Formats: sequence, structure tokens, C-alpha cells
Amino acid sequence: MLAYFIFALTIGGVYALLALSLNLIWGGVGLVNLGLVGFFAIGAYTSAILTGAGTPILVGWGAAIVVGAVAGFIVTLATTRLRDDYLAIVTLGLAEVIRLVALNERWLTNGSDGISGIQAPLKSVLGNQGFNLFYMVMVCFIVLIVWALLRRIDRSPYGRAMKAIREDQELAAFAGKNVLSFKVQAFALSAAIAGLAGALYAHFQSYVSPDHFQPLITIYIFLAVAAGGVGRPAGGVLGAYLVVFFLELTRFVPDLLPDFAPAQFAAVREIMIGTALLLVLRFKPRGLLPERIIPAPKI
Amino acid sequence: MTILLQALLNGIMNGTLIAVPAIGFTAIFAVLRFPNFAIAAYATIGAFAAWWVNVHLGAGVLPALIVAFAVAGFAGMAAEETALKGLRGSGALTVAIGSIALNVVLENIVRLYFGNDLRGYDLPIVPDWRFLGLRVGPQQLQSLMIAIAIMAAMFAFLRFTRFGKAMRAVADNADLARLKGIDPAKVAILTVFLGAGLAGTGGVLIGLDASIDPMLGYRVLLTVFAAAVLGGLGSIPGAVAGALVIGIAEECALLVIPATYRSAVGFIAILLVLTLRPRGIFGERAA
Amino acid sequence: MTKYAVNRRSFLGASTALVGLAMMPSAARAEGEVIKIGTLTPLTGAGGPYGPIMTQTAQAVVDEVNAAGGVLGKQIELISEDDQTNPEAGVRAARKLIDVDQVSAILGTWASSVTTAVAPLCWESGTFLATVSGADAITELPHNGYLVRTQPNTTLQGRKFGEFALEKGAKRVFFVSPQTPFAESQYTNMAKAVEAGGGEAASLVYDDKKPSYRSEVDEIMRFNPDAVVLGGYAPDTTVMLKELYRAGFEGTKIAFAYAVNQQVLDGVQKEVVEGCYTIAPSSNENSTAYKRLVDMIGVESPDPYTVQVYDQINLIIMAMAAAGESTGTAIKDSVRAVSQGEGGTKVDNAIDGLKLIAEGKAVDYDGASGPCDFTDTGDISDSSFRYEQVLDGKFSFINIA
Repeated sequence: MLAYFIFALTIGGVYALLALSLNLIWGGVGLVNLGLVGFFAIGAYTSAILTGAGTPILVGWGAAIVVGAVAGFIVTLATTRLRDDYLAIVTLGLAEVIRLVALNERWLTNGSDGISGIQAPLKSVLGNQGFNLFYMVMVCFIVLIVWALLRRIDRSPYGRAMKAIREDQELAAFAGKNVLSFKVQAFALSAAIAGLAGALYAHFQSYVSPDHFQPLITIYIFLAVAAGGVGRPAGGVLGAYLVVFFLELTRFVPDLLPDFAPAQFAAVREIMIGTALLLVLRFKPRGLLPERIIPAPKI
Repeated sequence: MTILLQALLNGIMNGTLIAVPAIGFTAIFAVLRFPNFAIAAYATIGAFAAWWVNVHLGAGVLPALIVAFAVAGFAGMAAEETALKGLRGSGALTVAIGSIALNVVLENIVRLYFGNDLRGYDLPIVPDWRFLGLRVGPQQLQSLMIAIAIMAAMFAFLRFTRFGKAMRAVADNADLARLKGIDPAKVAILTVFLGAGLAGTGGVLIGLDASIDPMLGYRVLLTVFAAAVLGGLGSIPGAVAGALVIGIAEECALLVIPATYRSAVGFIAILLVLTLRPRGIFGERAA
Repeated sequence: MTKYAVNRRSFLGASTALVGLAMMPSAARAEGEVIKIGTLTPLTGAGGPYGPIMTQTAQAVVDEVNAAGGVLGKQIELISEDDQTNPEAGVRAARKLIDVDQVSAILGTWASSVTTAVAPLCWESGTFLATVSGADAITELPHNGYLVRTQPNTTLQGRKFGEFALEKGAKRVFFVSPQTPFAESQYTNMAKAVEAGGGEAASLVYDDKKPSYRSEVDEIMRFNPDAVVLGGYAPDTTVMLKELYRAGFEGTKIAFAYAVNQQVLDGVQKEVVEGCYTIAPSSNENSTAYKRLVDMIGVESPDPYTVQVYDQINLIIMAMAAAGESTGTAIKDSVRAVSQGEGGTKVDNAIDGLKLIAEGKAVDYDGASGPCDFTDTGDISDSSFRYEQVLDGKFSFINIA
């Protein structure tokens, strides 16, 4: 049971990073990235391929952040002229293309077999139990650092400028803010965080494959950010842990519904997940931890 | 040359399959201004409804299409009223995300009742016709004709009926439409009926070629989106043109790239077209 | 600030309730002494057409054994989780089975990616894993014996497909498949067999989500094949078969029995699948296990995954009895004693096997999918296949070779 909680906390931490990533652009500049899982995949594969070729794990993680950021940068530049709803659909397609590349470019990604045996840091020293505990603590610590960083941004003049763009892009431009530059920076930073989450996930599971990166995870992260509170980093983190607990809890419902066959229950479980997101959006549109707009300091 | 011509023909047939749900999607977008992901589930619901009347009541293609339109349309209306309508106040993005959740719910309701088993219509299948070294399928021609008829009906509906005019008025400017005594709420709900119904009809056309299972709509969702985006979100002729362009691009691309990258073709087509025309081929005037 | 505090308090309250709820069922379960086994099958997602019947089959065997008194004097509880055909979700489900339910074995993993993701959790925790996945790489994982698979490896299957095509008089064989972990090795081995017999082979890998494959089929037809080998799963193979029919392909069609299964036969027009050959791993002609299975689940031609899950659950139950203990390690150590016990009495189901084991006799299980003898790496060592042909809308048995 304890091992299960440690595991859920680790996965929760990875989801939290993804939620922070999404929150930064959704709550920050008001863009929606439906291709979140694509950047997650880029980070996971970057680190898996590099460490597989012999680079140290920390270098692999660093590379995942950099490659993620570069990918985010390219995507924003290629899509700057698009309206938000077009961008949402384009990013959804992008994630699918990334999955297709991972699936078909065997020379780079080992194709549909995926990459197994990815190094787990210190596992040989710590043993299984020790490793799981260590990794959980480390992931939580990284979540804390990224959260603190984003909170700082959120409360800085820079963060206020981002939110001004979210609220009214033309007005922000009129006020002298370089809207494009803000969007590109936010998107790149967001993609970098998703890349880091991917690298952490890959080295925790020791295995990545194209099947990992289906749109399912993106939906979970939207649920997390919506539930936690868009526009507030702490909300995203809280939402991510809640989503993981909710996903896991729904497994125990068959004990209460013994008349359903497992296949029917699997459908009921997905219905519950979808309904939860709808209910949150309807009745808690600002999330459990609503955004706080801090007034600019008076001069 | 024959190969290219054949690919072109294939592309047109392939494109018409996508065109009908793409019209439904874009019509909803035109009035409600959000990308509705539940269109995938509406297509699946339509395909299942048609399957039910076809297998249990022996209905032919046309009655099955009408039933699919009605059932998917009503499902869409009910889902819109209960799940999505309340989200409109929070902005288009929230509704879009809500529609992703709604799609998960609806797909699994279908799964709960019908299971994952593959099904197929009890309708005859005929070999293709051949001429000049080319081949066309009578059934694909039938689908093409149905799709053209639907497009023509949509066009006439928008142009000549009172409701169609109201719909266009709301799509152009909801506030102005209200001043003219049009009730945007009524227009919205009827548009959802129409859009979901068209998606359901498209689901049947897809089910004629593929197997019918709960993931039918999900598998074509991205292509439907790509078609609508390419043509310009909210433009009905655009959705048709976009679907044809994507259909043709996919089939012709197979001559030069591996078939397994077929889904990427639509995406690349969107990027190329949108870079030149950020609002698609038939893009609306700048907002 | 007050608002924030309220929120935090209600969150804490809610999360305590959640944790409490999560603990409750397992605490409730711990009262009765039962042996727990988990199934991890695709109940949603791309594998959805296969998972439900697999789970149902395992449950039917468990019910039968429980009715006959269970194993080691205890009843068996089967816990079914959905892997959503996704390794991320699959790992979460497996962790729950391993850490919360503490199952001693997991069976039925289908997608190769799910099996590869779940396997390390199993061997690290001493949980036994039985899979139907096809990727060759799976048995090469460092699983220390904790993994067996009942699906023959694809090197062998590829060759069988090639040889069978030649046998049917085909000289030009086309292999068409979506991108699977075994598509490449299957094609290579098929081509080798075909070329060795003086024939020619070509292949095409397609995108499995499309509602039509007209240009793909044009490419196939340009090769002018005598035989087409279909390497996909049921949904995409359905589309491909319809397209081949429309294009006027009249040569030999050969597919996996899980791709052209009862569901597909019921779902498509008769003429589309007429004459199609299917290949599935199987034991000998008078396989009594196969007949028992057909009676048990009431499906005329169960597909290979269902057949294999039937064998997996029988083997696991007997291995526990043979070891006198229900842990995963015990199953690992004694599974070969019941699957290929030297000089053992042949059995085709766990109930008979349990009786013999209780009498201290050795058993040798011959299952519905084959003799179920495993190599040291966990692959099945036998190689007979069941050939069937669709005639007049029904599967008709050809032979087992």
C-alpha cells in the first residue's frame, strides 16, 4: 500500500510539472496547447536516446529541457499568425506527428518497440524500494523548485504583462508590450518544463514508446489545471495530485458496483473522468485555488 | 499519369467522406465560436443508430442516414443543453475543453451499451467500375452524391430559409442579430442539432467503409479538424474544399512518402496553407 | 485569505476522505483468505475489441476452479484492470494490482508496449506475468523467468505465412500491415521463405486509423500479387479487406486469426472475407482444451488471444498447486513443471490437473493454443499452427501443422 502511495506521488509530481507547463501558457498568455503530450514525448525521448548513447543522466535531463524549449520556440514562430482556436488544433496535430515520427523512425527511436532499459539514477545503489522513495522525493523537490520559479514570474511585472496579453492582446501591444516576444518566451519555457517532465518520467519508468504519448495525458492535465485553478501555479500542482488520486480512486468503484462486467466498468470509469472535468468547468470554473490578481505596487 | 489520375480520384472519394462531418463541425463553429471535439462522438452515435435500424429493422442506406441524422442531432442537442451550454460564460476555450470531456463521456456511453465489438452494415458491397485503366467505386460515388446533396441542401437552407438567414446573421454578428429580433439561443441550439446530425450522417458514410465501433469518430477527428481549419473555420464551402484538398493531398502524397505518415499530411497541409492564409482558404474577414 | 483557508481545509478534508476510501476495499478484502490473480487487458482504446472476452474467459476458468474447491484450499479472486491500451495507464493499473491487491500473477497484457512497461514492475516485485504480446524484444528483457508468453514469436510466424502462401501456389506475395513492433521481422522472415521458394515479396506499412485505403490498395495491385498477407488487427483489416474486394483482388488472402475473427465475419459482407485463410497457434487436432473452451464461453471460433488467456490462467493455477504456495516466485519456479512436466499425465484443464497434483502425480498441460511448453526465456517452444479458411461465411478447419 505504501509503495502504491509513493508511486502515485511520483506520477502526481510528473503530472504537476505538466500542469505547471500548461498553466504557464493557458493561465499566462491565454494560449492553449493541446499538443502538450508531444513536448512531454520530446523530453522523454531526448533523454532516453542521449543517456542510451552514454551521456550522464543530468546531461540528458538538461538536453530534454533545451530541446523542449527549442521545439516550443519553433512551434510558436511557425504559428504566430494563427488565432488561438487555430493554434489549439494545430498543436493537437503536432502531437500526433511527433508520435508518428517516434513510431516510424526506427533508427532514432527504435520505432514501435520503444526504448527499454533507460537508466534509473542510483537504482543499483538504493535498491527498488529505496529508488522509488528517492525518486518521489526528488520529483517533489523539482516540482517545488519549478513552482517557486513560476510563482515568482507570476507575481513579477513580467507575469502581469503576460496576463495583460491574455486579457487583451491589442491593449497590451498598445501599452508598449512586445506581444510576440512574450508569447514565444512563455511557450518555450512551458515546453521546456514539459520536456523535463518527460525526461523524469522516462527515467522513472525505464521505458518509453510511442503508445505512451496518446492524447489521454493531455486531457488529464487539462482536468488538473481546470480543477486546480487556471492562472495560479499552486492550483496546477494541487490539481495534478488530485487528478492522480481521482484516477486511482475510480479503480475502487467496482467494489461498490459488483454487477458490472469489467469491460462495462472500464467504460463507467472513463465516463466518471469526463464528467468530473465537465462538473469542475461548470461549477468551479476558476478552480479550487482561484487566481489572485495582485495589484501593481504603487509608486 | 494514370497513377496520378487514380490518386486524384481516390482523393476526391476520400475527401467526401471527411467533408460531411467537417461541414457539421464548421457550422457549429460558425455560430458558437468554439471547436467542438464531441463531433467525434456524434459521428459514432450516428453510425450506431444507423447500424441499429439497418440490422434490426432492415432499413436501407437512405432511411438509415435520416435516422442517423436525427439521433445524432438530438444527442447533440441534449448534450449541448446539459453539458456545454453552462460553460459558455467562461469563454470559448473552456467550452472547447468541456467538449473534449463530453466526447470521452459520450464515447463511453456507446461502449457501455454496445461494447467494443466491431459491427458492419447489412448492405451489399460491389466491386469497382473500371475504365481507361482507372477505377471508381459505385458505393464511393454514392457517398459522393450523398455528400454533394447534403452540401447543396445546406447551401439552400442557409441562403433561402428564414432560419438559415438567421443562422448566418448570428454567425456574422450575434449582437446585431439580436437587435433584429433573432433569438441567438434558439439559433444556437438548432445549429448544434444540424451540426451533430451532419456528423452522424458522416459517421454512417465512414461506417460503410470501415468497421463500426466506439472509436469510429475518434479515428477521423484530426482529419475532420484539419479539413475545417484548412478551409477556414466557420466557412461551409471552406470545409468542403478543405476536405477535398486533404483527401487529394493524402492520396497523392502516398506516391512519394511512406503510407504510414498519412496522418501527417493533413497537418503539414494546414501549416502550409495557414502560413500563407492564417484564416484558411475561405477564411472569414479579420475579426 | 479567509477564502484560501476555507479552500485548503476543504481540500484536506476531501483528501483524507479519498485516502480513507482507497484503503477501505483492501482492508475489507483482507478478511477472507483468498488467492488473488490480476488480469490487465485492453478494455478501452485500440485493443478494446479483444480485452473484454479475454477477461471474461479468465473469470470463467476461475469460477470453475472455485466451484471445484479452489486451489491450495483457498478460493481465487480475479481482479480485472483496464490498461486502456496505453502503457502509462497500464503501469498505473499494474501498480494497483501489485501494491494494493498484491496479486501473485498478472495475465493477459496485450499491447507490446504495455507488456514492456509493466514487465519490470513484475520482476522487481516477484509477480508472475503471462502475456499475449507479439514483439520479439519482450522475452529478451531481463525478466529472470517471471515472464512467459503464449503468442509464438514473429520470426516463426513470418516464415509460416510465407510457406503457406507458397503452398497455395503463390509466387508473388504482398505483405501489408500497420506499424507494429513485429511488422518488420514478420515481413523479413516471410520474404525469406517466399524467396527461398523462388517467389517474390513486397510490403507496405499503412496508417491504421484511416477509413479507406484506396491508394494503398492501388500500390498492392501494381505489384500484381498472387497472395496478400494481412498483418493488422480487426478494425484496420476490415477496411483493407473491403478495399481489396472493391479493387477486384481475387488471389489468396492470409491473415492472423485475431484479425479475421468471428466479429469481423459477422460485421462484413460475406463475399469480402470469403476464401480468406487464417493462421493461429494451436495444439493438435483433437485438442480437448480447445473444445472445452468453446463450450465454456459459447463462442464458436474464439480468437487466439482468448485461447491463450485460457491457457495462461489454467497454467498459473496449476503452478500454484504444484509449488504448494501461491506467490509469484512459486509460480515462476513451477510453471514449467506443469506445462512440460517430464512423464506427466496429459491434462487439458486446471481442475483435472489439481486433482492429479493433489495425488502427488506429475502433469503436463496441453492447452488450447498449443502444448504450452516454454523455453528458458519464456517463449513457447512448439510451433504448430491451426489453419482455417472462411467458406460460406464460416470458419472451416483445414489442418494443424
